[in-house]
Amino acid sequence: MRLLASLALQNLGRRRARSFLLIAAVAIGSGVVFTGATLMRSIDDSMAVGFTRLGADMMVAPEGALTNITAALLTVEPTDLVLDADALSKVPLASVGRVAPQKVVRVEHSGIGGHHELVDLFGIDPARDFTIQPWLREKLNRELRAGDVILGAGRDAPLGSQLLIFGKPHLVYGKLGRTGVGTHERGVFMSFATLAALAGSMSQMGGPRPAALTPGKVTGFLVELAPGATPQQARFAILSAVKGAKVVTGDSSLSGIRQGLSALLQGILALMVLMFASMAVMVSVLFSAIVTERRGELGLLKAIGARRAQMVGTMVVEAMIATGVGGVLGVTLGVLVMRLYERSLVYYLENIGVPFVWLDLPRMAAFAAASIVLASMIGALGALYPAWRASGRDAYDLVRGEG
Amino acid sequence: MLKCRQVSKSYRTERGLVTAVAGVDLDVPAGRFAAIIGRSGSGKSTLMAMAGGLSRPSAGMVEVDGTDVWRLSDNALAAFRNEKVGYVFQFASLLPTLRLIDNVALPAMLGRRHGASGTYARAAALLERMGLGGYLDAYPAEISAGEQRRAAIARALINDPALLLADEPTSDLDEQTEIEIMDVLRTVNREVGTTLVLVTHNLALAEQAQQIVHIANGAIVA
Ligand SMILES: Nc1ncnc2c1ncn2[C@@H]1O[C@H](COP(=O)(O)OP(=O)(O)OP(=O)(O)O)[C@@H](O)[C@H]1O
Ligand SMILES: [Mg+2]
Repeated sequence: MRLLASLALQNLGRRRARSFLLIAAVAIGSGVVFTGATLMRSIDDSMAVGFTRLGADMMVAPEGALTNITAALLTVEPTDLVLDADALSKVPLASVGRVAPQKVVRVEHSGIGGHHELVDLFGIDPARDFTIQPWLREKLNRELRAGDVILGAGRDAPLGSQLLIFGKPHLVYGKLGRTGVGTHERGVFMSFATLAALAGSMSQMGGPRPAALTPGKVTGFLVELAPGATPQQARFAILSAVKGAKVVTGDSSLSGIRQGLSALLQGILALMVLMFASMAVMVSVLFSAIVTERRGELGLLKAIGARRAQMVGTMVVEAMIATGVGGVLGVTLGVLVMRLYERSLVYYLENIGVPFVWLDLPRMAAFAAASIVLASMIGALGALYPAWRASGRDAYDLVRGEG
Repeated sequence: MLKCRQVSKSYRTERGLVTAVAGVDLDVPAGRFAAIIGRSGSGKSTLMAMAGGLSRPSAGMVEVDGTDVWRLSDNALAAFRNEKVGYVFQFASLLPTLRLIDNVALPAMLGRRHGASGTYARAAALLERMGLGGYLDAYPAEISAGEQRRAAIARALINDPALLLADEPTSDLDEQTEIEIMDVLRTVNREVGTTLVLVTHNLALAEQAQQIVHIANGAIVA
């Protein structure tokens, strides 16, 4: 009913400071719940991505190369050092399964992206690759050919469009899904032949010819363990077969991260539950005080014939408006905070080896809606009991300020 | 119209049980104007509240228009308060956050028996009749105590109650206002046939009534 609803609204407006504090408290609570839930799901998903779609168990890189520890071994790291392309196929290695060689050249003035942007051009062997092509989100309906490039998720160009690299036309063959691995997301991938064909144009720009472009050389390998083999066995076999190489294992640090993260997630969960509980308690305490303060009004409503449901309704609507507004504010705040700290958060997580992928929009929206609904539910529940009790009192006692 | 049988009300307080009304028998036939008189604290307001469905008696029976009021269910009792009774409190009783017109229309809107436009037209007419035609959009805090009392009477009349219970509606008002308010109440009683029970300290007012009920210490005397 319009009048009862306006009564609820007016009451909120009458005690501005208190309404504001209530809304602020609920906003903080639901903001934490929303942000916590979103981050938790994102990290959870990222970990799932890292663990299940993680292509390689280990990476073989030149000994002197700098390597970041990352949970997902999807690409080799750009470096000037190289290994022999046949290093891992010269001798049979029983502990090693699939092997994907990769070349990478980091170039400037390539014509891709901004003028001074450093772009990693990756050469892959499409027949042996198992860390790039599984991530194809969309692709042309044919095989990968010479002159085709695949773009990481962080690059934007329509499928089938032309892309000039050092002035030479290339065709966008496919685009990759998000992985949270920087080199993978910003990379431009092509066959060895396509990359080799760029060598001439690259050297016209001056500067030494990158070592990775030397025929018979690669930047590194992504390696899958043979079934049943341990990382130690594979590492030992590789190191004794290939001189000047180092082996980076993906999973040794992962189990630690996994444990650390699940502890963190449990912490967040506990914090959320606590936050929620204290918010509920606070709101119900506040509303029993508000109901007491308003018993005269409730008594009047009762005296002129309001049904119990109508009396409870006004109080509940009032509470739901306040806490609902708090919920909306909290979610907005949460989004802002996540926006604000997105860079440092993603950087931090990637640094400790977790590829970070944000939750997709529909699910984030669902979390937002759930947080707001929960906030107003807390308000409704907090007001329900005291309002119901008060509505059962004698109208006359309520009007006189007793009961 | 109004029938009370052995109605009592006691309150539990720190000083023990306080009996406000003790075994009152009262009959007010339909259409009559009855006055209740008695000293302060004698139990007049308590009796009125029990008759109007606002305060549950500790013992006894209240019958209005053939209905045993305190045996009604919660919702039926709410409907009874809404439709059968108009109650004017001894003290200010308007909702401070609603305009006068909304305050007056509220009981009719709660019942939702009439359309909103008809209700508001009626509410405006009642306020007009109470001399408050210029204050339809005013809030209670913006008008005087006497004007608030008159608005409360308008509210009590909005649903055409069969029983109008007015608890000292003219206390602490000047004589002229008192006469005006009594005029309205008696006109409603005479012309519409609404049963009127009036609590008053003013013996001159009480003498205009067809029936005088004198209460002392929670019981009826002579
Ligand atoms: N809620 C209550 N708790 C305890 N005692 C009460 C309560 N309400 C009323 N009383 C007592 O009951 C008695 C009757 O009160 P009531 O208000 O009916 O008197 P009254 O005749 O209307 O007085 P007045 O003319 O001053 O309005 C008083 O002694 C009062 O103290
Ligand atoms: Mg009284």
